Amino acid sequence: MYSIVSTAIVCGIQSILIQVEADVCDGMPAFEMVGVLSSEVKEAKERIRAAIRNSGIRLAPKKITVNLYPADIRKSGTVFDLPIALAILAAYGRIPREHLEGILFAGEISLNGEIRPTSGILPMVLAAREAGKHVVCVPINNVQEAQIVQGITILPGENLNQVIALIQAFFEKKWEYDDIDRELEDGLAEEQSLDCDFAAIHGQKLLKRACEIAASGRHNMLMLGSPGSGKTMAAQAVATILPPLTQEEALELAKVYSVTGLFEQRKKNFRERPFRSPHHTVSLAGIAGGGVVPKPGELSLAHKGVLFLDELTEFQKPVLEVLRQPLEEREIRLVRKSGTYFYPADIMLIAAMNPCNCGYFPDRNRCTCSRAMIERHLNKISRPLLDRMDLCVEVRRPVLSELSAKQPEETSAEIRSRVEKTQRVQQQRFQGTEILYNSQIPVGAMEQWCSLEPEGEQLLKESFERLELTARGYYRIIRVARTIADMEGADQINRAHIQESILFRSIDRKVWNWE
Amino acid sequence: MKEQREKATKYDYWLSGLVFLTGRKKICLKEIFQETENLYRANTKKIHQLTFLTEREKQRLIEAMREPEEKLSQRMEYCIQNRIYLTVWPDSQYPKRLKNIYNPPYGLFYRGTMPKQSQPAVGVVGARNCSHYGKLMAEKIGCELAKAGVAVISGMAIGVDGAAQRAAVKEGGYSCGVLGCGIDVCYPSDSRQLYGQLGEEGCVLSEYPPHTKPLAMYFPQRNRIISGLSDCVLVVEAKEHSGSLITADFALEQGRDIYAVPGRATDALSQGTNWLIRQGAGIFLNVEDFLKEMHIFTRIEENYFTKQKVPLEKLERLVYSCLGLTPRSLEDLLEETRLSLGVLLELLETLQKKGCVSEIYKNYYVCSDVFV
Repeated sequence: MYSIVSTAIVCGIQSILIQVEADVCDGMPAFEMVGVLSSEVKEAKERIRAAIRNSGIRLAPKKITVNLYPADIRKSGTVFDLPIALAILAAYGRIPREHLEGILFAGEISLNGEIRPTSGILPMVLAAREAGKHVVCVPINNVQEAQIVQGITILPGENLNQVIALIQAFFEKKWEYDDIDRELEDGLAEEQSLDCDFAAIHGQKLLKRACEIAASGRHNMLMLGSPGSGKTMAAQAVATILPPLTQEEALELAKVYSVTGLFEQRKKNFRERPFRSPHHTVSLAGIAGGGVVPKPGELSLAHKGVLFLDELTEFQKPVLEVLRQPLEEREIRLVRKSGTYFYPADIMLIAAMNPCNCGYFPDRNRCTCSRAMIERHLNKISRPLLDRMDLCVEVRRPVLSELSAKQPEETSAEIRSRVEKTQRVQQQRFQGTEILYNSQIPVGAMEQWCSLEPEGEQLLKESFERLELTARGYYRIIRVARTIADMEGADQINRAHIQESILFRSIDRKVWNWE
Repeated sequence: MKEQREKATKYDYWLSGLVFLTGRKKICLKEIFQETENLYRANTKKIHQLTFLTEREKQRLIEAMREPEEKLSQRMEYCIQNRIYLTVWPDSQYPKRLKNIYNPPYGLFYRGTMPKQSQPAVGVVGARNCSHYGKLMAEKIGCELAKAGVAVISGMAIGVDGAAQRAAVKEGGYSCGVLGCGIDVCYPSDSRQLYGQLGEEGCVLSEYPPHTKPLAMYFPQRNRIISGLSDCVLVVEAKEHSGSLITADFALEQGRDIYAVPGRATDALSQGTNWLIRQGAGIFLNVEDFLKEMHIFTRIEENYFTKQKVPLEKLERLVYSCLGLTPRSLEDLLEETRLSLGVLLELLETLQKKGCVSEIYKNYYVCSDVFV
């Protein structure tokens, strides 16, 4: 007897539908599976055999052949367990074939027949909906994830026997939509942990100001300061002043988390901007994404949010260099033998580093680093990467009087409302273009969008000479000044805006001023 | 003693280039053999009879004596072609000040003109990783010594040494850089410009033969030449146990005066100088006073030390009063002046234009003129 069941495979953050065929016939008892299978799919054989037996179903020894097609795609992952088991049961005639029609199945099976959660459910459900399917059966623990997709019925699979009963009930229209509590909130999570709110950071006026500017114009930011000065805290706080994700952005991000198997992390705060801070030992594959069929890396997990690199100078050079292209293109392209994979990587980069090995520079009385050591330290960051940092702020050690100050500081929520306002100004300006934020203004459009008052222009000219700016540095200052002007609601960039922008200019080797 | 030789022979170049012998031993050898050529051609037996050489030194000397003459000529040719001169003890060119120190160098490779005995000379030394204060003081001292016609002797290193020499050269004064490596090796490489200028207008010298790499072991020895060439040694900034204190020790040994620039008791970079003062070194207050104590009254322009007055407005004065020679961050200034960021930035900008304040690192400010 022959049967066919639909399932899907994750390929990048897209999903492709796969059909599982099973044939059972007389002959030498055997269990063969074909269709370019990776080892975890081949192992499904043993899991399914045990799961069926442990579910109390006795099958006569026959020759079983299972084929997964299209046969030219390499199948990997564990979602095939459930569809293969059902296809075999249907081929044996234990399940009526029509029960399986029009349903997409995905799930891993344990030896006792229980259905285990798996990664990549969200793109699969989306693919199923696009392919015109109306019903999917997913592991019960993945139901919330699948429910993000509107307009498709989700059947929760607990174990093999329950699934058989469920599809029968569904076929006979006896199954009623049992509202599994929809925990997913549309808004931000209500409570935010106290330690990453701006209200918890005392003093540090310049740092806070820089954070607000960076968040408003989505500028990349570099923080320079000795350890313990509050860089990490500030970076975490930046994520809290970013406006919530739009539904589209949230869905795109959820897909990335789904294929990485990290969906649980986004469940509670579905529309909050992600904040990722990989340790400096992170590998190239860890940051960019990797594997034979590459999984997204930290760059993509921070999509539409903040990627925070603490101790920037300690990262391996290739890891830092790989950031360059995604920072420009806002996506990362991974080329493998099996094809080219695109992952979104539209990030705001925040980096922190010490000004020198000991962290005390430029206080020469405490800093013990020789000049060569400091130069070596700074040379770990390549020029092109430094060029992509729009803002640079020095974080000094907090003074005790500031730490113990009782006056209340502004909360993240207050700052966020201002940031939202500034971002709306930008969206209005860039309407009809691909640009979303000031940091993305191309050089060609500078004159159109960044008109300067004569006084501001004069100051910029003077500073260009005095600070020996590069062309890149020059445009960075204008972009940041544009954001500062937007924060004030000013149409034109004036002298004060430029002055403040210069204050936050990126470090330049010349600025260290050796001689 | 025989007549003085003005032109060094290739054998002089050879003997000067032997780094394993101290200057004193080379001079002894020269006195025994009269001519360096005699030493080169001497019988090994005779070398073995020399009691002041250790066995190892004897062996290495004999080895060196086996070097073919062509090689010696080549070396001399190299020096002449590259405008490197050699003066050997006791030529007339050889600095008299060095003649009576404990371990005078036998030969000095140099470019430019040797310091003159008639010109007073001050060794200005200090930390490489100096603070802004140290650098500023070194520049002031270098500049004013040059104006007073005093030679500035130093080690051409980054930090205090280089700053003092640079200022002296800029002012058109005479300065002499003593290297701890071969004369044709510019170390540190950042001082290339200074190195070039000194070779033209002042002097660069070294007791080590050309091509010698800058090894740590050469530098303390180099310091004895710095102090030896000076009438007085001025230490600007030094941490404890630093190379500048070695120079001061040599100076003491050689009977030179030592002056130190005082600093705050807590500053690490003033520990060395303050300690010197504690030990009895002279306290440097200003160049005028310093030169008086040295009995140099030449060419001091009276009005040079008068203060320049720059009119400042009230708020400008407030910001200016917060600044000193220690770099202060913008954040500190914000905190202290309690001004808004925009106002403060504008004030700093005008102060910079007036030349009262300078931004030495990004967003770190200092007073730009100590004597304002």
